Amino acid sequence: MKTIIIDPVTRIEGHAKITIDLNEDGSVEDARLHVTQYRGFEKFCEGKIYTDMPALTARTCGICPVSHVISSSKACDTLLSVTPPKAAINIRKIVNLAQIIQSHTLNFYHLSSPDFVYGFDAPKEDRNIFKLMQTHPKMAKDGIELRAFGQKIIESLAGKRIHPTGIIPGGVSNILEIEVKEKLLQEIPRAMKIAQNTLKYFKENLHKFQKEIDSFASFSSLFMAIVGEDGSLEHYDGVLRFIDSEGNILNEAIDPQNYKEFIGEAVEDDSYLKSPYYKPLGYPQGMYRVGALARLNVATKCGTPLADEELKNFKALGRGKPVQNSFYYHYARIIEIIYGLEKIEQLLRDEDTLSENIVARGKINVSRGVGCSEAPRGTLFHDYQVDSNGIIEKVNLIIATGNNNLAMNAGVKQVAKAFIDPANITDGALNRVEAVIRCFDPCLSCSTHALGIVSSQIELRDHHKKIIKIFARN
Amino acid sequence: MIIGYGNELRGEDGFGVEVIRKLQFLTPKDIKLISAFCLTPELILEMLDADEIIFVDACYDEENHYALACSILKNGSNLSHHIQPQILMALMRDVYEKKVDYSIYSMLTCNFEMIEDTQKYYKCIDKVTSFLIV
Repeated sequence: MKTIIIDPVTRIEGHAKITIDLNEDGSVEDARLHVTQYRGFEKFCEGKIYTDMPALTARTCGICPVSHVISSSKACDTLLSVTPPKAAINIRKIVNLAQIIQSHTLNFYHLSSPDFVYGFDAPKEDRNIFKLMQTHPKMAKDGIELRAFGQKIIESLAGKRIHPTGIIPGGVSNILEIEVKEKLLQEIPRAMKIAQNTLKYFKENLHKFQKEIDSFASFSSLFMAIVGEDGSLEHYDGVLRFIDSEGNILNEAIDPQNYKEFIGEAVEDDSYLKSPYYKPLGYPQGMYRVGALARLNVATKCGTPLADEELKNFKALGRGKPVQNSFYYHYARIIEIIYGLEKIEQLLRDEDTLSENIVARGKINVSRGVGCSEAPRGTLFHDYQVDSNGIIEKVNLIIATGNNNLAMNAGVKQVAKAFIDPANITDGALNRVEAVIRCFDPCLSCSTHALGIVSSQIELRDHHKKIIKIFARN
Repeated sequence: MIIGYGNELRGEDGFGVEVIRKLQFLTPKDIKLISAFCLTPELILEMLDADEIIFVDACYDEENHYALACSILKNGSNLSHHIQPQILMALMRDVYEKKVDYSIYSMLTCNFEMIEDTQKYYKCIDKVTSFLIV
């Protein structure tokens, strides 16, 4: 058996490599994604006071720190047995959606758009955001502007663009000033115009990528997401719902506090990224997907007009079943940007959001608290156990990207089998092996709670697992 | 505009941010100060208002620790959120059609985990701060 190793994997958040194993007749037998970084947040949080956890765990990531702050603060709310005031919840929701907008924009424009614009077989020196800025300056400007808007909302409401400090146990630390509200509302139409242009561009060009749509992690799996009480799209709070590949609801309303009854965490010896699975089906049959694709598959509606209109088109792709093609993560993310802008406008216009009652006080009332929210890349769990003084005794984190680990590995294998010809390995084929990972928009820094380095490597191994070639991708 | 960038949790990598912190009490109002973890394309939108831009950061060098240097050229990178001043300036010129003078003030170090010599580190901060306010 020969092995192809893609190391480092490029245009993702974090450090990973891909190995492609060839069998004795030289065809692709297996392919795996290995996450090769480790930092150990769960361990070094032990002994800290619970109030430090939102700020501490936010440092897991520079792309989606808001998600960690929110899930962490929600876990702390549970420890205190308090419910934050409505203004605080609204502000948390706005900040969370702003992060989804900026993160999805980062994936589409900065990481993935070069593939859409130049094609997967374009010279690798052209497949980057900087080439895009030269040849498609308006598109590049749109990406910069839309992401900056998301960051501006986070900075305005939570203190800082990266690692914001305004979300705290019990609520938030700053009220929403009316001037800030008005200023942000003024900018929403422009951001919406960019989002709709993005959607239009993506849909107009989809026909070019039918082969990728059919082969990029296109298979049956379960899907998991938070939904609201009425089954609508929800990112901040709600119940967990699993559906199968036919669209049947496996569990209608799981309380996130009980996630361990339904989610197991397997460990493979070749990756620091854990492999969560749906317990009732066992490992690895319990593979499920999370993130934008899963959220739109699981939810029955978005609850905002423009997003609901597009959701109909999205759901039509599945012909009555969940959409199984991971290439459509890109489509789902754009719909979520539109939803996020609509929802932020609704929340900003809610008079309650301006209230000065923004924090609920309490002391430690229970010894375990789980905080769960939808991060840009999927469902995020923070699970803390504390002593009576609020000192952290145990931490378990299930990160959005980790939920997708089994599906990402299955996707890498599917693409390698479809595109890798060991006798003639083209750069376009290697790019596709990486691109299937980019569909999931993994944040490996988060998922292993490790240091973020954007890079990758592909290794080719023979049937004895001996490396015969390494393709450095950075 | 003066942009200091780096991560204070990573020891001497936070040099640029420390300089900005010190400058905020010493510079006139028409100089905009920005501190950031790293340079991102979105910064260009703020840079468009500037007549001249100075970047301040820590720069990796194995031999010359705590030396100060100006306009150190680093290897370019195609990473999404770790980009160099030269790339931002090129983008501003090519995409937004605005060209302004810029310079880079760097402290050379190989220590991005801790502050190895506090005295020398803060002396570098003082030197750059003094130079910039003159």
